[in-house]
Amino acid sequence: MINSVTSSEPIIRLKDVDKFFGGFQALKKINLNVEKGERIVVCGPSGSGKSTMIRCINRLEQHNAGHIIVNGHELTDQVKDIDAVRREVGMVFQSFNLFPHLSIIDNLMLAPKLVRKTPKPKAREQAMSMLERVRIPEQADKYPSQLSGGQQQRVAIARSLCMNPEIMLFDEPTSALDPEMINEVLEVMTDLAKEGMTMICVTHEMGFARSVADAVIFMDEGEIVERNTPEEFFNNPKSDRTKLFLSQILAH
Amino acid sequence: MDVLTGWWDDFFWGSIVILQVFLVALVMMVLFGLIGAAAKLSNSRIAQKLASAYTVIFRGTPELLVLLLIYYGSAIFLTNLFQLFDPSIKFVDIPPFWAGSFSIALIVGSYAAETFRGAFLGVDPGQIEAARALGISNFNTFIYVRIPEMWRLALPAFGNHMLSLIKDTALISIIGLNETMYAAEQAAGTTSKPFTMFIVAGCIYLGFSTVITLSVMLLEKRANKHLVGSR
Amino acid sequence: MSFEFSLIIDSIPKMLAGIGITLELLLLSMVIGTILAIFILLMRISNRWYLCWPAMSFIYIFRGTPILIQIFIIYYGFPQFEFIRESIFWPMLREPYGCAVLALTINNAAYVSEIFRGGVNGVDRGYLEAGAALGLSIRQRFIYITAPIAIRLSIPAYSNDVIGLMKATALASTITLLDMMGIARTIVAEYYAPYEIFISLAIIYLIMTWIIQNAFGLLEKRMSRHIRQ
Repeated sequence: MINSVTSSEPIIRLKDVDKFFGGFQALKKINLNVEKGERIVVCGPSGSGKSTMIRCINRLEQHNAGHIIVNGHELTDQVKDIDAVRREVGMVFQSFNLFPHLSIIDNLMLAPKLVRKTPKPKAREQAMSMLERVRIPEQADKYPSQLSGGQQQRVAIARSLCMNPEIMLFDEPTSALDPEMINEVLEVMTDLAKEGMTMICVTHEMGFARSVADAVIFMDEGEIVERNTPEEFFNNPKSDRTKLFLSQILAH
Repeated sequence: MDVLTGWWDDFFWGSIVILQVFLVALVMMVLFGLIGAAAKLSNSRIAQKLASAYTVIFRGTPELLVLLLIYYGSAIFLTNLFQLFDPSIKFVDIPPFWAGSFSIALIVGSYAAETFRGAFLGVDPGQIEAARALGISNFNTFIYVRIPEMWRLALPAFGNHMLSLIKDTALISIIGLNETMYAAEQAAGTTSKPFTMFIVAGCIYLGFSTVITLSVMLLEKRANKHLVGSR
Repeated sequence: MSFEFSLIIDSIPKMLAGIGITLELLLLSMVIGTILAIFILLMRISNRWYLCWPAMSFIYIFRGTPILIQIFIIYYGFPQFEFIRESIFWPMLREPYGCAVLALTINNAAYVSEIFRGGVNGVDRGYLEAGAALGLSIRQRFIYITAPIAIRLSIPAYSNDVIGLMKATALASTITLLDMMGIARTIVAEYYAPYEIFISLAIIYLIMTWIIQNAFGLLEKRMSRHIRQ
């Protein structure tokens, strides 16, 4: 099942992507192909461009050069393509970003109702089933501020899943969590991976990378330094920068 | 513009009066604000009660009412007082300049008290602790750590207080102070071009507001320069 | 100098006869001003210069000058022009009442639009990104995410604005309108008893302030129920 090579086009394709913030180059000629069903973990020091890269994939950031093609849509200024991509790509943020004024169930139902025009009863049914999937159906009528960080992040995952995305992006989903809550979120992500979801996770949870990822990508200073299978990546890293990074992150 | 010939002098001196009132009231406003804030932060329950009464009363009463009460009220008081000594005296009042400056300073000072209090409490206690831990005296901590930080926190609201002061000076024309608004009324009455005259007065006020806004922006930039680049 | 309580007791009902006008001025300019403020806000935050600039100048001018001048320009100044006297608005602009409502409304709109803009800017960008990532359009994000959060954030400032507006209605007395302040001034001119009359009037205004503050306090509590644990 690992690296199931298909003859079809990769579901995500980045070709020579550059991204500038003012004079600072955050991404330098990034090339990345992700096949359908592949699970990619992206790691690297802070400021290495890993968040920027996945934020470009659903155009929360605009790339300045190169091509990004997601599920057959090239990301340009065309609003139609952006909307189409965002419908198919779910995203989970470091800071959860649940809508504070809506209850949990309303958080989950908002996008299906507005974007997919799902009728209310159906949206509710679907939302409840997603909450069961992340194991907190009993919190449906509470507000985000009443939940723990781990619960909020699981709700955020459920909220993305309600749109039935083809691809899920995770931007450091466990970095803002207290240590005892990290596992409950990783478990949900692992379940998702087992179901065959295409995933790109920016994370420093190396245990998760080892057990779930098909490939690990190491980024530094806006470049992809290394892409490897988890075993090779951890046991036999190719580049010195990777070795240095791993020695720092695994040291404690 | 011909209609304005002969009135420029009045507008000019009126603007000078506005400026004078503003500066006098600014000093008093800061004073009232600081006293109010100190009372709110003090341990004395009476001082706290008095200070919150001050805020509540002047925030909830129309500016015009405060101005008229202080001007006519003090006039009655003084007239009665002077008549005790010399019954032939008909009317004694505090000059509108002082009654007016005092009134608007009192009003805006009640807002400033809240601003200063908030700024005092807004200073990160960690910084104060750090200064203590370094062995810096309480006085020096206040001067070198708390005041600069308070200044930065209070500036935006303080800018708004200054704008309120400058705009409230227009009210003082109602008790007969010879300022721009008064000049405009006189000019409007004699030239039958009221629109033109009041627009001129409006532009003068807009000029004052602009100068204040720009100065506060500059001051804020200076006060925040150490924060550049951080978020 | 004495404090005459009989005068207070006589004059309070007289002043309260003007509370209707005070409240009408307040409510009309609050409601119309708020609606106007929403349009100004939308113009102000738009990316198109021909919408943004007029809104900015409007806000700049009406917040940068005293309301008293704005009232005088409308009441004393507008009749200078023939075309205004012949326009359909003349019946309204001829009356001090209409002028006061117009001035207070416009002035309030300028302030409220900035309050709302503060609320809109206060909305955490993360919520909007989450909305974008879920595929919500810009308009949907504004209506379903920005607006509800911004409104709640704006309530304390809006409440202060309404109190300020109530205080500003007293300026209508300068153009001969007999609101509470206008009535008080005529009584003072007649009896020359500023202490008694003005202090009683101040108490009436303070009670109104108290009511406004508490009403908005309750509203805020209701709208923030999701924040509390």
